[in-house]
Amino acid sequence: MKTGTRKTVLLVIGAAMVLTTAGCGGGLLSSGASGAATPSGPVKLGMVVPISGSSAPTGAYMKNGAQLAVDEINKAGGVLKGRKLELMVEDEACDAQQAVASANKVVSAGVVVSVGGYCSGATLPTLPIFQKANIPMIIPAANSQDLVKQGLANVFLINGTGKQQSTTALAFMKKSGFTTVALVDDNTSYSKDITTETQAQIVADGSVKVLLNTSVTAGESDYSAVVRAIMAKNPALVYWTGYYQEGGLIINQLKKAGFTGKVMVADGSVDPSLPKIAGAGAEGVFATMTQTPDTIKGAERWIANYKAAFNADPGPYSTQSYDAVRLAAKAIEDAGSTKGADIIKALEAIDGFSMFSGPLKFTPEHTLSSGGFVILVIKDGKFILNALQP
Amino acid sequence: MTQLIWDGLFVGSFYALIALGYSMVYGIIKLLNFAHGDIYMLGAFIGFALLTSMGGIPASLSLGALLIVLLVSMLITGGAGVLIERLAYRPLRGAPRLAVLISAVGVSFSLEYGIAAIAGPNPRAYPIRLEGGVFEVLGARASLPQIVLMLIAAGLMVALNFYIQKTSTGRAMRSIALDSNASLLMGINVNAVITRTFFIGSALAGAAGVMAGAYYGKIDFLMGFIIGLKAFTAAVIGGIGNIKGAMLGGLVLGFVEAFGSQWFGGQWRDVFSFAVLILFLTLRPTGILGERVTERM
Repeated sequence: MKTGTRKTVLLVIGAAMVLTTAGCGGGLLSSGASGAATPSGPVKLGMVVPISGSSAPTGAYMKNGAQLAVDEINKAGGVLKGRKLELMVEDEACDAQQAVASANKVVSAGVVVSVGGYCSGATLPTLPIFQKANIPMIIPAANSQDLVKQGLANVFLINGTGKQQSTTALAFMKKSGFTTVALVDDNTSYSKDITTETQAQIVADGSVKVLLNTSVTAGESDYSAVVRAIMAKNPALVYWTGYYQEGGLIINQLKKAGFTGKVMVADGSVDPSLPKIAGAGAEGVFATMTQTPDTIKGAERWIANYKAAFNADPGPYSTQSYDAVRLAAKAIEDAGSTKGADIIKALEAIDGFSMFSGPLKFTPEHTLSSGGFVILVIKDGKFILNALQP
Repeated sequence: MTQLIWDGLFVGSFYALIALGYSMVYGIIKLLNFAHGDIYMLGAFIGFALLTSMGGIPASLSLGALLIVLLVSMLITGGAGVLIERLAYRPLRGAPRLAVLISAVGVSFSLEYGIAAIAGPNPRAYPIRLEGGVFEVLGARASLPQIVLMLIAAGLMVALNFYIQKTSTGRAMRSIALDSNASLLMGINVNAVITRTFFIGSALAGAAGVMAGAYYGKIDFLMGFIIGLKAFTAAVIGGIGNIKGAMLGGLVLGFVEAFGSQWFGGQWRDVFSFAVLILFLTLRPTGILGERVTERM
């Protein structure tokens, strides 16, 4: 009797152990397989964008844009003969550590394509994570040259690059007759990329003169130092390439200091909050920016759909995120599989896929063949398309 | 040159207001209150909430409204400071110094992300903006709001100095800074005085927060972080624990930053400022006005 009980207990423990290990193994197997060859379940797309932190509003625009595309594609029957798309959004927080943690999370959840990436500095460290898992990345917003410098096969940028933005900026300076310029960045990868590139192009071109190329520390309130430096050189144009919070403060403080020249900002500063922060100095500020829904002709119907779905207006990078998901679906469909290598091949082969930025064909380094940058100007506290385009 | 001095003076007066709180608290209970920068942020957000709830304010009344909001925000942030001391520091009064320090870091994060959760992570534009006449003084451009804000800061500092030197509570603060046990034996209610110290220090930081919001026009939940570090630096330069040292240290740091960015370029400003701090600590660890054994406060 006694031995019998012991035996039963042992048996139960043994069975429990077998069950747990089996459960474990099953778990591991299934998570490994869902990325590769589950024939039926949903196809997961991962999106690491800022949900918290100072760039959180843009993250919301991107998430909604992507979700809109997912819903539309699912309504039309999904991909690969009826499989639904599923969007998994994790926080990037514009912070390298948070972005890496989130990238690991979406990779282990078995996503097939990554459609996120806003802050270049935070997106950069996530590249090797997706690369090791052989997951293609369609990056909708981050656009530092550093992202494609390493020549990773899985990285595709569908926003214009810093280089293309600089070309547009220079063309506009020449066309509007600005002969002297001050370049100011905030020392982040994205921002420095544009000033460095603009400086190089201006020097090579020779018709505009860089009077000042300086950096500020992000996150402060008082920028009187850079304002003093700008006032001392008195350039016709100040080109600010950082984000909108500091941009707004610098514009405001330049105005208070009596600066009479013009200010131009890069795409990281194009946000509805910039005119509010900049106050009286905002009117007439130029911006180099890829098209936003407001400035694209014929986007009214798309904007109406977006509003109906989320009860909010679309913003910067809503369209790019929307296109990133559509592009991912198209590539999966073309490849006929969810294998990373096949999708990358399909992406490279795409020619003339219609997007908001125009027909898509990737260059050999996986960037857009034309950047699609336009010049915006602030009028009555809002960014609108500038009359004069380069 | 005069522009540099003027800008340095203006930024320095913000640093000084915040440095005072650091210095007072350190002087009295030897605690580096790392949540102090976030009290400044809290002040800015309370001011924001008050101004928004008051609705549209005509531009002509903006200065008067600002003064009222300033006072109310000071009272609330002062109260918050007292509450923080009560909940996070007093229970650890007998604990090792490190434990209280970590508790302060914890309070700092709680305030930052608490505000982020309540008010949202997005930066806010302040409902009123101090815009005013600009005039040239000896070749420097100064604006009316700058002068008003500096007068307010100077007024607060003079009042504080009077309070500490001439009132009985001030005398009690100074005696606790010297020896809190002896003060207790002499019949001073140590806890009550510490509470007042936190109230005053936090109220000053709150005032700086509202002023920064109204002048610069943008607030966000992380705005207290860098300025908190800078104010701490200012307090150390001036001689931490010493009230006049904190005021002086704030102004000195303002000048160092202004001249540093002028001489070496904007990107080198913080390198220069903090190099000065290291140099200072090597050559004169007690700061400008601090002395090895002296009456603190």
